[in-house]
Amino acid sequence: MPASASDWLDERRKAALEAYEGEPVPTWRRSGFWTTTLRKLDLDALEPRRYEPVSSVDELPAVVGDALDDEPGALIVQRGASTVLLQVSAELTEQGVVVMPLEQAVVEHEALVREWYMKRLSETEGKFPAATAAFWTGGVFIHVPRNAQVKAPIQTVYVIDEPGTAQYAHTLAIVDENADCAIREYCLGGDFEGQALHAGGFELYARPGARAKLAHFHDWGRGEVYDISTKRVEIARDAFVSWVPIHLGGRLIKQTLDIVTAEQGADMRHTGLYFTERDEHLDLFTTDMKEAPHTAGDTVWKGALTGDSRASYEGLIHIVPDAQETHTYLQTHQMLLSQRAKGDAIPSLIVQTDNVSASHGGTVGELDEEQIFYMMSRGISRIEAVQTLVEGYFEEVVQRLDDPGLEELVRRRIGEKLLAAEDQVKEFVGHRAGAAQEA
Amino acid sequence: MSLEIQNLHVRIEEREILRGLDLTVRKGETHALMGPNGSGKSTLANTIMGNPNYEVTEGKIVFNGEDVTEADPDERARAGLFMAFQYPATIPGVSVANFLRMAVNAKRDDPIKVKEFGKLLGENMEILKIDRAFTSRYLNEGFSGGEKKRAEILQLAMLRPEIAVLDETDSGLDIDALRIVSDGVNALRGPEMGSLIITHYKRILDYVRPEFVHIMLDGRIVREGGPELADELEQTGYEQIREEVAAANAG
Repeated sequence: MPASASDWLDERRKAALEAYEGEPVPTWRRSGFWTTTLRKLDLDALEPRRYEPVSSVDELPAVVGDALDDEPGALIVQRGASTVLLQVSAELTEQGVVVMPLEQAVVEHEALVREWYMKRLSETEGKFPAATAAFWTGGVFIHVPRNAQVKAPIQTVYVIDEPGTAQYAHTLAIVDENADCAIREYCLGGDFEGQALHAGGFELYARPGARAKLAHFHDWGRGEVYDISTKRVEIARDAFVSWVPIHLGGRLIKQTLDIVTAEQGADMRHTGLYFTERDEHLDLFTTDMKEAPHTAGDTVWKGALTGDSRASYEGLIHIVPDAQETHTYLQTHQMLLSQRAKGDAIPSLIVQTDNVSASHGGTVGELDEEQIFYMMSRGISRIEAVQTLVEGYFEEVVQRLDDPGLEELVRRRIGEKLLAAEDQVKEFVGHRAGAAQEA
Repeated sequence: MSLEIQNLHVRIEEREILRGLDLTVRKGETHALMGPNGSGKSTLANTIMGNPNYEVTEGKIVFNGEDVTEADPDERARAGLFMAFQYPATIPGVSVANFLRMAVNAKRDDPIKVKEFGKLLGENMEILKIDRAFTSRYLNEGFSGGEKKRAEILQLAMLRPEIAVLDETDSGLDIDALRIVSDGVNALRGPEMGSLIITHYKRILDYVRPEFVHIMLDGRIVREGGPELADELEQTGYEQIREEVAAANAG
C-alpha cells in the first residue's frame, strides 16, 4: 500500500480495497451484441513495477518520444508505478499552473485535492474502479488557476514497457474559472510479449467560464495490454470542453467515458476515433450527461476495424428531468475493413424532460464500391483508393482535434495501420467486388 | 490510336442491357451517342471504364490494339481512357486538389513537382472558370450539379486522356453552366483527344459539334451519320426512329 500523508485518503483507499475484494472479476455483456470478458487475463501474475527517475525523454522507452510533441508547457511521465519525469516550463510556473504527481499534490495542495478528488468517480462502481482507487501510485495532478491562459499543451504520459506490469493510474485535473488550456494524456505501450494491465481513473473539472482542449491518445502497442478505465469530465457554468479520445491499439480496452454538462451554459464537443487490428477487443461506453438546462453537446465517434478485431461503441445521451432547453447530437460510424472483424455502433437516448433537442445516428458499413470504382477510373490503384477513402473517412474527426501536432500523429499512425492491413483490405474489397458481380 | 467496341453484350443483374453494340472512336474525333432513357447509354460508359457491376457476356473492348475487356478500371485509365461520370461519387476528406494530384501521379513514374502541379492546375482552372477556393473543398461533397460536372471536366483537363467518354455531362446543367462546360470540352478538343459525348438531348451538341452521331435504342446502335443526324432527331424524336427500325426489321 503506498504511503499517504492524509487520513482522509487512507480512509478512501480502505473503502476502495474493501469494494475491490468484495467484487468478482467482471464480465460485461450487452445482450445480443457483445461480451467483454477478462478470462484470458492472468491478473495474479501482474504487479506494480517501480522505476528510477530520468532526466529527459530520451532515457524513456522510444514510444514516448515518438508520440510527444516537442514543446510542451509541462510534461509528466509515469512509467509503471513510478513518476519518472516531471518538467514544467517557467512560463507555466509563473502563471501558477501546477502539474505534479497526485501523490505529491495530496501533501502540497491538500485542500484542493480533497475538494475535488473522486468527486465524479466512485470506488464502488466496479472492481477495477475500486482497484484503481485503492492501489494508484504516482498519479497526475493538474491545476490551471483562475484566468490563466496556457497555450503550450500540458502533456501527461502513462507508459507500460514490460510484461507483467500492473499500472494503477489516477489523473485529477482542475481548470479553474475562466482559465484556458490544452491537456493531452498519452497511454503508451511498448511492443513487448506478454500481459499487462492499465487500470485508470481520470477526472477533469472545468470550472465556470473555463475552456479546455482535452485529448486522450491510447496506443498500447502490440503487447497484450488490458486497459480498464473510467474517465469523466464535468463542465460547469458557461465552460466549454473539447474532448478527443483516440484509440489506436490495445489487446483489450474497456472504457467508460462520461462528459457531464453540469451547469447552465455548459457546452462540449466530444470527438472519438478508433482503429482496431489483429485480435484486439475494444469496448467503449460514452455518456453525454445533461444535468442542467441550457447546455449543449456535439458528439462524433468514428472507427475502423481490421483483422479479427472486435469493436463495440455505445454512446448514450442522457438528459435528466430538469435539463430543459438542452441541445445535443451524437453520431457514430464504424467501417469494417476485414471479413473477420466484428463491430457494433449503438447510439441511445434517455430523455427525461421536454423542450430539448437531442438526435443521434449510427452506421456500420463497408467501403463503397462506387467510390472505389470512381477513384480507379482516374488511374488510382485499388489499394491506394481504399487507403485514401479510409483516411478521408477519418479526416472529419481528425480535423476536429484542432491540434496540428496530434493530427499529424494520428494521420501517420492510421496510415501505418492501413499499410499493415494492406493484404486483408485488398482481399476483402476484392471479395466485395466479386460478390457485387455475382448479384 | 482508337477505342473499338465490338459486338458488346452486357448484363447487369440478369438483365441484358447492351445487345451487340459496335462503335469505334479514334483519337482526334468527336462522337455523339444519343439515345432515350433506358437505351443503355450509361451502361456503355460504365462498361468502357470497367465498372465491376457490369458483366460483359460477349464481344470485346479494344483500346489501342489491346483487348481491355477484362482490365481493371485503373489500368484502363492509365492507358489513356477517361470517363466523366453522370453521378460522380463523393470522396469525403479528400480535397479536389489532393485528388487531382493523386490522379495525375497515378499516370507518372515520378510524382509531379508541387510547382508544376500548381501551374497545371491554375491553367486548367482558368479555362473552366473555376474559383481557387473550389480546389480545397472535399471532392463532390455538397457540390451542386453544375459544380460536380465542372469537377469532372477539370479532371479531364488535368489528365488529358486519349479517349474521353462524357456520360450525360449536360444533364442538370443550366444554360450558363452548360456553356462553361462546353467551352472547356472545346478547349480540350484536338488531334490528341477523341471523345464520345453521351447525351439524351441535342442541347450540348449545339455547343460541342460532333463529327459523328450515333443513335442508340435498346442496347444497339440503330442509326449513324454526321451532325445533321442530331438535327433530324430533334425534328422526329426517338419514337419515330424506333418505328422505322421496327418496320425495317419486320421487312
